[in-house]
Order: sequence, then C-alpha cells, then structure tokens
Amino acid sequence: MDKSGDINSDVLLEGSIPTAPLELILCTEKLHQRPSRLPDYETENRALVKLVTALADSPSTIFQTLAETILDITQCDSAGLSLLTRDGKTPDVCGERFYWPAIAGSWNPHKGGGTPRNFGPCGDVLDQNRTLLFTHFERRYPYLLPVIPAAEECLLVPFYVAGEAVGTIWGIMHSDRRKFDAEDNRIMNSLGKFASSAYQALKHIEDLKIQVSEREKAEAEVRELARGLEAKVRRLVEANVVGIVMWNLEGAITDANDAFLRMVQYDREDLAFGRVRWTDLTPAEWHARDEHAIAHLKATGIFQPFEKEYFRKDGSRVPVLLGGALFEGTGKEGVAFVVDLSEQKRAERALRRSEAFLAEGQRLSQIGTFSWHVNTGEITWSEQLYRIYQFEIGLPVTLERIRKRVHPEDLSVLEKMIEHARGDATDFEWQYRLVMPDGTTKYLHAVAHTVRDQGGQLEYIATIQDVTARRLSEEALDKARAQLTHVARVNSLGVLTASIAHELNQPLSGIITNANTCLRMLAADPANVDGARETARRTIRDGNRAAEILARLRALFSKKESTTEAVDLNEATREVIALSSNELQRNQIVVQSELAADLPTITGDRIQLQQVIVNLLRNASEAMVDTHGRPRQLLIRTEREDGDRVRVGVRDTGVGFDRQSMDKLFDAFYTTKRDGMGIGLSVSRSIVERHHGRLWAELNDGPGVTFLFSIPRGSDAKTHAASAMRQS
Amino acid sequence: MRSGEHSLVSVVDDDESVRESLPELIRQFGFRVLAFSSAEAFLASASVGETRCLLLDVAMPGMSGPDLQRELIRRHQEIPIVFITGTTDHTVRPDVLAQGAVECLFKPFSETALLDALHAAFRMTEA
Repeated sequence: MDKSGDINSDVLLEGSIPTAPLELILCTEKLHQRPSRLPDYETENRALVKLVTALADSPSTIFQTLAETILDITQCDSAGLSLLTRDGKTPDVCGERFYWPAIAGSWNPHKGGGTPRNFGPCGDVLDQNRTLLFTHFERRYPYLLPVIPAAEECLLVPFYVAGEAVGTIWGIMHSDRRKFDAEDNRIMNSLGKFASSAYQALKHIEDLKIQVSEREKAEAEVRELARGLEAKVRRLVEANVVGIVMWNLEGAITDANDAFLRMVQYDREDLAFGRVRWTDLTPAEWHARDEHAIAHLKATGIFQPFEKEYFRKDGSRVPVLLGGALFEGTGKEGVAFVVDLSEQKRAERALRRSEAFLAEGQRLSQIGTFSWHVNTGEITWSEQLYRIYQFEIGLPVTLERIRKRVHPEDLSVLEKMIEHARGDATDFEWQYRLVMPDGTTKYLHAVAHTVRDQGGQLEYIATIQDVTARRLSEEALDKARAQLTHVARVNSLGVLTASIAHELNQPLSGIITNANTCLRMLAADPANVDGARETARRTIRDGNRAAEILARLRALFSKKESTTEAVDLNEATREVIALSSNELQRNQIVVQSELAADLPTITGDRIQLQQVIVNLLRNASEAMVDTHGRPRQLLIRTEREDGDRVRVGVRDTGVGFDRQSMDKLFDAFYTTKRDGMGIGLSVSRSIVERHHGRLWAELNDGPGVTFLFSIPRGSDAKTHAASAMRQS
Repeated sequence: MRSGEHSLVSVVDDDESVRESLPELIRQFGFRVLAFSSAEAFLASASVGETRCLLLDVAMPGMSGPDLQRELIRRHQEIPIVFITGTTDHTVRPDVLAQGAVECLFKPFSETALLDALHAAFRMTEA
C-alpha cells in the first residue's frame, strides 16, 4: 500500500520536476582532495566511551546518542540515522522504506519521518555500497524539497549486519561554513561500525523483551490457572462430598476434611495432635493390601482406587473406597480421596439377601421366572427355571431350545401362546408339559404379565411353576376317588343284592320245601291228598310273599323325587361345562360352545337333563383320551329346531365306532370302554324319552362322533314327563 | 337210614314259612320233628337232650345260630348241627364247620342235599 502510494507520488513528482543524475550531485572524491584536520583521539575516545556506556545504560536511546555524537565530533549542522523498513514502521533488513529513528541538530524536528527507498540518497548509498558525499541532493530527490533547511553537503555511510545493508548514518552541512574532509570520512566509517553493533544489540534486546513479555504472560496464565484450580480443589475439599486426606508414607495424616473425620469419628484436635494415622486406622488384614498400593504408588506416583476398611474411633469398622497420588517433589507426601461405602455395602447385602430369598423361594416353591423382550427376543431365566427345564445354568435361552423340551402334543399350544404374546399385549396363563431327557413328563403352569420397559418396549414377566407333583397327586387322588366310588357302588349294590336275596330266599326256600313235601305226599301209597292240598296252599302263600317283597323293593326304588320346571338348556349347559372344566382341561380337551341366543326354555327335570349332558361330555372326553397326534376338540351346541323343539349336540374328535355298534350303543350294559358300566347312554336315553325326546348318535365327516338329543318344549311336556315318571 | 327213624329232629328258625314247610318234609322222610321260633325257645324246651339233629338258622333276632352252637358246646350237649341260611355270604360256612357243624345249607336247598345232611348227622351220633 505504502509502496503503491509512494510510486504514485513518485510519478507525480517526476512528471512535474525533472530530476538530476547521480553523478551531478556527488562529490565524494573531494573528501580526499580537501585539506584534512588532525584527528582528535581524545574527543573521539570520550565519545566512544559515552556511546558504549549509553548502550549499556539506556539502549532505547542509543540511536539518538549516536546522532548527537556524530553532530559533536564532525561539527556538522544535522546528523541522524536511517533504517530500512518493510512496512515503514518496524526496523527490518529487507525493507522498502527508510525510517529516521534518530536525528540531532537542525533536522531534529524531522525525527520519526523518512522516505521511500529510492526517493532519497540512502537508497543510492546502499546500491553503491560505499560512503558517498552529496551536494544539494534535492536536485535528484525532489521528495526531500520540503525538508528544510536544505542540505549543502551530506555525508552518508552505510552499515551492515551479517553482510546485509540495514541503514545509513549521516551528517549534513546546511551552509558552506565547513566542508566534510577525510577525517570526517574516517570517523563516520568508524561510527558506522558502532551503529551496526548498536543495531544488533538493540535487536537482541527487543527480542529479549518479547521473550520476557511472553514468558511473563505465560506465567500469568499459569498463575491464573493455578488460582482457578486451587479454588476448585478447595471447593471439592470443603464440599465434604468425599473424604480428602493429606498423608505421608510414615503413616501420618497431616490434614483431612470434615467428611473424612466424620467417617472415622475423629475431630480436628485429634488431627492437630497427630492422633489420626492411617497405619493405625487400618485393620491388620488390610495391611497387605496397603503394601501393594504403596508399591504401586512408589512406582507410578498414584494408586488405583481400591476397597478396604478403616477402624472408627469407637473400634467399629467403616468400609471405604480409597484412591490417591503422591505430590511431586518430596516423593513421600500425597493426597487421597476416601468414599464411605457403608450405604453401598448395606444395599449390596440387602440385595444379595433378597436375591438369595428369591432364589430359595423359587427353589422351595418350584417356581421359576423369566422375562422376554418381544422385539429383541431377549430371554432371561432365573436359576430355578434352568433347573426345571434341566438346562445348564447360564446357557443362552432360545425359543428353539424351549421347543425341543416341550411335549410334542403341547407344541401347538406353545406356538399359539407365542403368537398371542406377539400380537396383543395381555396377561395370560397356560399349562403345558415338558418331556425330560430321561423320558419323564413334567407339568408346568405358567402365568405371564406384560410390562413396558423404560424404552416403552413390550416385555413379559412370567412365572412358571412345576406342578408335576401336584398334578400326579391330583391324578392319583382322582383315580383313588374313582376307585372308591366304584367300590362303594359295587359294595352298596352287593349289600342291596344280599338283602334282596336274603328276603327272597326265605319264601323261595319255603316254596321248594313245600313242593318237595307235596310231591312226596302225592307219591305215598295211599296218596295224602289233603296234606298235599294244604302244602300246595302254603306254596301259593310263599309265592305271594315273594311277590310282595319284590313289590316293596320296587316301591323303594321308585321313591326318587322328580321335579319339573322351566329349564334354560343354555344355562344348564354352561353350568355343566363349568363343573367339568377341570376334568376336561386335565385331559387336554379344548371345549368350544355355540349356544343359540334364541333358545326357548323347556319344561322338565333340570338335574336329570344336566345328567344327560354330563354323560355325553364324559363319553366324548373318554373317547378322546386315547387320541394322539390331533387336537382333542369338543364342540357343544344348542339350537332351536322346527316343530318347537330344542336340540343339544356334543361333537368329539375321538376314536368313534363302526356302524354295527351304533344300534347297540344305547343298550344297558353295552360298552366299548374298558372300565365302563355301559349304563350311561341307556340311562340318558330313558331320561330323554321321559321328556318325550329322542337321543341318537351320528358319525362325523371327520374323526369322531356327535351325540344329539332333541326335546319338545310344548306345554304338555310337563304332564308327559310327570306321567312318564310315575310309570317308571 | 333205618337207624335214624323215630329220631328227633329239631328245627330252629325265625321265619314262619320255614317253620311250617321244613318240618312237614322231614316228617315225610319218616323222622320225628319239632320246630322252634328262636334259639332261646329251643334251649328252654325239654327236647334238647333228645334231639339227634338240629336244623339251625344262622341269622335270627336275639341269639343267633352260631351263638346257640357255642352254648351247646359249653353245656357239653354236642348235638349234630346242620345250619340252614338265607344269606348269600358263603364265608359263614367254613366258620361254622370249623366249630363242628355237620353241614351248612344255603336256602333254597334241594331235598337231596337235606337228606344227605341229615344222614351225615345221624352217622355222627351212631359213631
């Protein structure tokens, strides 16, 4: 910028005023032609001593002192120093402009000014690289025209640093009262060398100043940082969030904050009197651990946090977490933080205890738990569940592994549950079986509950109970009950039979005896006809007695009360399903019901009709017990029939039977079952017929059979039913 | 058979039709016969010592047939006993035979079975 500005002004000036060639304004050779004054070494030495002293005492003014020395020694009118700069301000060896840092004499007011490099004599001196004497140089450098008073003669000497030209020193005569001579030339050259040294010294001083100021700045920053850090450390110590202790390797605790003192129940006085020593605070069994930390501390300057215990003043112990470092320098003192772990330890113990309780509870109750993240598929099992499934504890649980354990017949149930779980998030429970590696069967009862985790994702928490023992005992109980019922029935039948037999045997015995007597009387010679007649009469009487006994028995059996009322067969059916649900579920039977909404009530004996439904359900259930490899489905359906009748159907997917058996199905004592009496269907049919209904069976298109009964609901059903009862 | 003729057979049964029919048949066989409606009535009669065979019902109100059997043993009046019973419980037979009864007939019994039992009883007293 400066340069372009200078060129512009240069063009302007050159355009307006013609400039003189260098030869015309130089008169250097005259220095040696003129008569020279004698050297005044005394003055010169004094001047040089003054200069050197100035350089040592006041380096910042050395250039001005130099200018005054030139003025003094050469007796000229103005003297000064020109330095090349780059930007016109800072001294610079490769500059583009001359700057006047020091001027003495008439030109002193121009101190601080300067010229572009080639707009004054300095540029030519550096180009010529020698001392030059000018006369009226303004003829060549119109830039200097305004600088007054004008220069009659000007002697310029270049000076160098490390071979590079850096500036000039000069003296000016504004009149011809005195001319520069050879002695001036010698002195100026000598001072030029001094200028070079002074310049270098000054430059070093400037550099030093910069370095010093930078150093000071850095130190100030460090101090500032340290102050901030100290405040932070103090804040940490005084906040008493953690215990902070200063200690030495001899075992002393030299300082500590309140948090630490509270932890170990000591006070400031204890601390001040050196009664708090970390070696005394540490129980014997922790000494080895301390030694380990100290070894680490000596090797690395720090010790990693570790857990230990301290004695409190009252002898009790406090669990702590401890970590620290040695201070730099002494290698014997350091700082440590101490965190009271009492709360954590208590919580840990409580957690461990409750975990142990849970595990023990699960073990005792044979209940396992699991969680299942539906989205990620992540499954977590309790140990007890591993034991129930007989999987190695910790084995990753996958649905595939679970499927391999589940009883083949329950796999469809499992898949349905999984599908259900993935679909709509509801709580549910189900029962299924496992086949263990040794071939035994386990019965499990699972209850699942849905929750949302923190991320709002669906998660199931479920308990699974091993109900095998209960199940087996239930089955044993059922079996025992069934056997007992059977025995009781057989027994009561036996007792009944015995008493009937006893009652009848008396008259029968009489009849036979009489008949024998009668025959003998008739066979006698002569025949005892009167005796035979009498005996025959007794025989008739005994026969009548036997008949009376039978009549009494029948009366006894027909005493059954029969009631008629309005019966809602849907409700009756629902009751039967509810009562039978245990047995049906135990037999793994899925019950569906389709109950007609518009079913009219019928008139009849509700208990007897429910007995029919119970019999049909039981038959269906028993027909499916031996069914394997296909679902055991039972469908019970009620519907309204034409002709004001109501129909109930029970459809199974059981073993079924052939057509020949169909005709005999309803005969008493006919059965296809190993342990059946074969009277259920017979009794059922007689009950239905008493209600003026019909009971029949149909083979399904698919597997199994459907039993149906149909009953009229007409108003006379009541009387029909009632009269039917009486007849029986 | 001759040896048994005119021997006294006593019938003890609480059932009237037996008391009416059975003595008549035994009389047709040619024996003397008396009927009693209870064990107590028989013990109270003068016929105990004379009876050569006792036809005794098992189940009766009051003293039962086996009770009477034990009482006679206690009295050292060892009359051959043929039990007659209307029960279908066959476990009663070995019990009474073990106590020394000649036979145990289940009602209704045949004429042949009755005659065989009577002859067996008579053979016992002759021996």
